Amino acid sequence: MSSGLKGREPYPAGGTSAIRRRDLLVAAGVGLTTVGLRPAVAASPDQLTWGVHVSLAPTWFEPAEASGIITPFMVLYALHDAMVKPMPDTALAPSLAESVNASEDGRTYEFVVREGARFHNGDPVTSADVKFSFERYRGIANALLKARVAAVDTPDARRVRFQLKEAWPDFLTFYATATGSGWVVPKAYLEKVGDDGFKKAPVGAGPYKFVSFTPGVELVLEAFDGYWRKKPAVKRLVFKVIPDEGTRLAALKLGEIDIAYSVRGELAEQLRKTPGLALKPAVVQAPFCLYFPDQWDEKSPWHDARVRKAASLAIDRKGTNEALTLGHSEITGNSIVPRGYDFYWQPPSPEYDPDKAKRLLAEAGFPRGFDAGFYFCDSSYANVGESVVDNLLGVGIRSKLRPIERAAFIKEFGEKKYKNIIQAGPGAFGNAATRIEAHLVKGGVFSYGSYPDIDTLYQQQAGEMDRARREALLFRIQELMVERTIYAPIWQLAFLNGIGSRVGEAGFGRIPLFPYTSPYEDITLKGT
Amino acid sequence: MARFISRRVAYCLLSLFLLSLTIFLFVRVTGDPAALLVEPGASAADIAAIHHRFGLDRPLWVQYGLFMWSLAHGDLGQSFYYQTPVLDLYLSRLPNSLVLASAAMVFSLLIGIPSGILAAVRVGRFWDSAGKVFALLGLSLPSFWVGLVLILLFSVYLRWLPSSGAGTPLHLIMPAFALGWYFAAAHMRLTRSSMLEVLGSEYIKLARLKGLPESLVIAKHAFKNALIPVITLAGINLVIMVNVAVVVETVFAWPGIGRLLYEGITFRDFPVVQGVVLLAGAMIVIVNLAIDILYAVIDPRIRLER
Repeated sequence: MSSGLKGREPYPAGGTSAIRRRDLLVAAGVGLTTVGLRPAVAASPDQLTWGVHVSLAPTWFEPAEASGIITPFMVLYALHDAMVKPMPDTALAPSLAESVNASEDGRTYEFVVREGARFHNGDPVTSADVKFSFERYRGIANALLKARVAAVDTPDARRVRFQLKEAWPDFLTFYATATGSGWVVPKAYLEKVGDDGFKKAPVGAGPYKFVSFTPGVELVLEAFDGYWRKKPAVKRLVFKVIPDEGTRLAALKLGEIDIAYSVRGELAEQLRKTPGLALKPAVVQAPFCLYFPDQWDEKSPWHDARVRKAASLAIDRKGTNEALTLGHSEITGNSIVPRGYDFYWQPPSPEYDPDKAKRLLAEAGFPRGFDAGFYFCDSSYANVGESVVDNLLGVGIRSKLRPIERAAFIKEFGEKKYKNIIQAGPGAFGNAATRIEAHLVKGGVFSYGSYPDIDTLYQQQAGEMDRARREALLFRIQELMVERTIYAPIWQLAFLNGIGSRVGEAGFGRIPLFPYTSPYEDITLKGT
Repeated sequence: MARFISRRVAYCLLSLFLLSLTIFLFVRVTGDPAALLVEPGASAADIAAIHHRFGLDRPLWVQYGLFMWSLAHGDLGQSFYYQTPVLDLYLSRLPNSLVLASAAMVFSLLIGIPSGILAAVRVGRFWDSAGKVFALLGLSLPSFWVGLVLILLFSVYLRWLPSSGAGTPLHLIMPAFALGWYFAAAHMRLTRSSMLEVLGSEYIKLARLKGLPESLVIAKHAFKNALIPVITLAGINLVIMVNVAVVVETVFAWPGIGRLLYEGITFRDFPVVQGVVLLAGAMIVIVNLAIDILYAVIDPRIRLER
């Protein structure tokens, strides 16, 4: 696989081009002759270039392998299309599906494939492709989906009918947002080239088609004029992997890239102050909070709700937000359910009142505070932890920051190995019910304990097909979570990015809670 | 001679076997790769499915056996993250690493050797002190910092050079300098000490007593002999530059093997880490073997040693 860049590119990207002896001699001599070199600024008039913070992988071309992390959707939104997917107007927008109908008993969902929708190779999108894509799906929650879907029928070339074993109110959430099972790939092409061939030359029904890919280095896409929604405005997209955020910012300032993902803290401040560049925050589906795993232990100070409330009152969310994410994170007060998720309940705004926190601690029998032990957090967000540990110390809760490497943190958190305080940042797809299942109820992946009344409410909502009644139950659970300070909220994280002067519409924040630029067909260059 | 070579080859194979075992176990100590491939909150079934897909649910000895079996067939395995054969990934990055390492090596030798000679012949004086400062800075300044300062100066402020990537000679300058400086310092120190040792030897004293000009003594008699250990070190350093320029390649987004190793470590991509480390080890072992054989050819006493 090689770079397929064309056009005016002062520094042809992709690491595979051969460097000749003459080039090396030039390179050796250039140190003496650098004066007078042309500025390193580059821009093709019909191309946008991204500086991506993570390594691009071919698995991201393959919806069947969606692992549950949001990053691959950065590419899926360009290359592929889904029957239903989150879009600017709605979280469940019909895309390749023209319509979606659920039966009254909640056991049948019928989709009608959009007329005229085509894959990049010209083949029409049919119900057989939809069925094939669902059946070959092997990514996250695959077992759950397959266990609940009894059959997928295709009465004709445009109609697909999902028969569920029993009513499942979250079917569309899982089919359209929490997994990659609703993203459609061409059956005939895949059967011809096989899985490996598909990863090397993917064909989708999205707004951009594949041109070339150098693993971990660069991905090049070209506009698909036959995209059903609209013809993309930018002809060519180039995604360059630039792991270091300082280098990404430098590349953005130089005009080598047009869009830089993930620029944080002081670098973001610098970006904001640079003329011609613009900071583009995107609030994502990750609310940060403190969890008190010892609250079910009667001997622990955290057993007393006043102590937990004091910890919450001690957190200077606004100050930390200003310092770390330039005020762009959202202080919602909901610890585990992000604003924008289905069945999200809006709590009262969380208070910052250290004096009240001290009074509550004194009432709880800790007038001089107490030693709270370790404060565990994902090392990627140790900066948030530093700030909160400092806030807690201000009211007398003395804790020691213990940043743990991300994967180990997630694993040990899930294995219930931590005590004292955990800084959590749940980021899984789904809705309020799926978050509550993982973080609040008995047996939840990250639940260290539970409250019987919450468990009962959760069970009641799981089979409730009436939306209003289900919403009331889920709201009540979230209300109880806040009342009891089971968690202390911090914020809903903002992912900070930058754009250069050539970008018209970047697409940041258009799809709620999506951290990347999308929909790609809406992205424009200035003046187009 | 044949016995000597076969013994050395046997040592090499043993070294590689031990390396394969060490790296195989070491990467597995770093944690579970599945934890990085799923979102927090993934079910046990999802994690188990990933384990099964990558063969991580098998006993360790079975995994090692399969790894060695594949290795014997020239297959370094399939990357967990990239879903691509590791050998293909390695070979696709190798040309970039070779170019960067060659440029950095040229820089390090061009700077390191003359400054080392100068420091040795002007020992205790200004050039010696300047050389020591140069070496100290080269060895102590972190590459990522040097890299970022270079980007700031030459890309952001002066706008002379591209900040990152690969493909043109201009892309090569800053990473080659950042990588080469560290090794230039090492080469400078070794050249200096080697030159000092040679300059103090009897045959140099004799050459001076014979009235040869100092420049001739240094250039013809001292330098040639002092160069041998430097070249030996440079050979090993070249292999290191090719395979483990992790920081420099990451800062400059240079698509080489060092960055591949960084990605492998970041994503707990066991086959990638194993493959890169083994190939780097193999290169070092082969270079050492070649040097051993060369020494034995030059000096028969070496091959007669037990």
